[in-house]
Amino acid sequence: MSNTQSEDKKAEASQQPQQQKPTVLEEDDEFEDFPVDDWPENETEQASGSTANGNNVHLWEESWDDDDAAEDFSKQLKEELKKVDTSR
Amino acid sequence: MSFQGNSVFDRFLASLAEIVRDRDGAKLQDFLQIEPPLPDVYGQMVDELRQRYPDGSRGEADLQRRCEGLVPKSGGSSWTAFPTFMKLYFCFLRDVNVENLLETYNMLKVLLNQCVIALGDSQFGIVVLPTVLYLSKVLAKLAMGLDRRPELVAHLLRLEGGPEQDESTEKVTLVEKSANVVREAFIKCLTDRSGTPGVHGKPEGKRVGIYLMANLCLKLLFQCGKLRNAEQMFASITAQSPPLKHFPASQRVTYLYYLGRYLLSNNLFFPAQIALQAAYDQCHRQAINQKRLILTYLISCNIILGRFPSMHLLQRPESQGLADKFIPLCQLVARGNYIAFREHLTGNSATTEWFARKGILLPLRNRCEILVWRSLARKVFIHGGFHGETQGQAQRGPPPFLYLTKLEAAVRWLQSQHLSTSPLLVVSPFANARVSASKSQFGSQIVSITADPDFALLTAQDANKGAPDASILTEYADYLCPDGFFDATGQWQTNPAKSLVDGALDPDYSQYELNPYAEDAEDTTGEPSPLMREIESILASLLTQRLMRGYLTHRNPRFAIPGARLRGALPTGFPNVWQTIYARELEDMGVPGWVKPPPTIAAPVALGGGGRVVNLSGARPVGVQ
Repeated sequence: MSNTQSEDKKAEASQQPQQQKPTVLEEDDEFEDFPVDDWPENETEQASGSTANGNNVHLWEESWDDDDAAEDFSKQLKEELKKVDTSR
Repeated sequence: MSFQGNSVFDRFLASLAEIVRDRDGAKLQDFLQIEPPLPDVYGQMVDELRQRYPDGSRGEADLQRRCEGLVPKSGGSSWTAFPTFMKLYFCFLRDVNVENLLETYNMLKVLLNQCVIALGDSQFGIVVLPTVLYLSKVLAKLAMGLDRRPELVAHLLRLEGGPEQDESTEKVTLVEKSANVVREAFIKCLTDRSGTPGVHGKPEGKRVGIYLMANLCLKLLFQCGKLRNAEQMFASITAQSPPLKHFPASQRVTYLYYLGRYLLSNNLFFPAQIALQAAYDQCHRQAINQKRLILTYLISCNIILGRFPSMHLLQRPESQGLADKFIPLCQLVARGNYIAFREHLTGNSATTEWFARKGILLPLRNRCEILVWRSLARKVFIHGGFHGETQGQAQRGPPPFLYLTKLEAAVRWLQSQHLSTSPLLVVSPFANARVSASKSQFGSQIVSITADPDFALLTAQDANKGAPDASILTEYADYLCPDGFFDATGQWQTNPAKSLVDGALDPDYSQYELNPYAEDAEDTTGEPSPLMREIESILASLLTQRLMRGYLTHRNPRFAIPGARLRGALPTGFPNVWQTIYARELEDMGVPGWVKPPPTIAAPVALGGGGRVVNLSGARPVGVQ
């Protein structure tokens, strides 16, 4: 058993370089096991200041409508729409 | 024990008997190691096993008999599955050959299967729960490893399947097979009858393993892409599990992550957002990798629901790499250039690849486009709409409105802007789509056709009008310029000069209409264009979803915003997306698959007789998911 083990380990070691690329690519897709089973609430993300009191409003932007009329796309669109008006 | 000897095996058995008597599941798992490197003492035991109980029916029968001594005889019931499991364990140690990973996998699966059967015992089953979990993890690791490197077992699978492998049945991968075994263990944990079952219960008995086994099973199902198989698991959990909050944080967070992803893949974005937000909130703050994965899906859900990640969120350590992916997407949604949006999520860019690998490309592409159209309509209204009378409030003027011809003009302008660059537009096989965007027959150009390599020669042919391509001539010479042919009268004509028997090819098809659905141009005078029809239906969809407020007129197409006097045309006609969706979903904040403690307010107990009231507040209409 111990013999086959060490052989197996050697085999694994020799395959490492080829293995590297695909695993690196995919391993960040896998949800890792946590190193500890349980933790108290004060060690959670929620308790760590910024999201305390269940208030996570500023993690998310609810108002994102783009009202910047000076922005390129808006300016060009405005010009185009003027042309429609004049051609009427 | 009658066989007290000095061999490692005998001492091992004696210790096991004590462990089983004490019902020490953790210690049992600690004893039953299988993963190399094993301590030397296991090597000694393997040598003894090979000597005393060699492979063969006689040796195995003896081994089975020795293992039967491990089970307490008292109490009438005998735990017969355990000795068989132990015999398989010793056989595994004795016979395993890790050079053959497929054989190792199969042996391990059989071993786990037997252990799950032993888990089913109502009295002693719980003793093997830690062992079931341990073996499941090793099996899962092996299966997922082999799934990533199929070349390690491809030759073995070929041998196993043989040439006459039945192709009519679906192939079950090693990962899916593992998931099926783990699911059996999950069911054994969930259906433990001891103590209080269901939502009023606590994680006691085998129920402590519910989410450990469920999480492992979900990991495997996600890996093999058989998420559909998880549906029954979530239904069983909803029906029979104690509340999730009674379980340790690592199990809660992992479960909520998989549940959120499952809901996301079923287009249930709002409950998915709740589950993923809870997973993020309850996650250990130092678990950066886990938080990053949770955020990937949490941000996707929120964008679809009309809420963008803040810079504050994207600057956190766990968000590293996410800002590059999501900020451009959010900007495109807000800008309203639907062609740029489609281009961003089409094709083979690294970003598209990343979204696809994470499984969020299609939901983002399909679900965000309506938000892009809202942004476009909103901008066109700002710059080209009638915003209502600003003065003379006493007089009742017409409500603010937008001529849809302006939106149509904006779309045509976008199309002309992108005509030269957009693969979505250029590859259209219909000649008239290429001629001019303003004469386009195809609305917003949803049809995306990638260039077919088979037609590459045809296109080349198109370019140099008439002269057949040399490569075509070589390839089809036997057809285009054969040695001879039958003429119109049926006479054989030889063709020694090898000229083109049908004359020069005429690749100019412009006189023909190649679009089988093309409408006769004469019929459509005065009718709204297909693009206008499409714009109307897009706006109707926005109105139905309440992402825009107002009404459409079909004749002289307009979008009108009544009741805008108080709040103004823009906030009335284009209400906040997230707040609209949130208000709609607020009625039902429940997350299917997430068991919560029953409400603490004791429900009035009906005391027999008439007048029973059935509370239907939690009931859903028929047909609603």
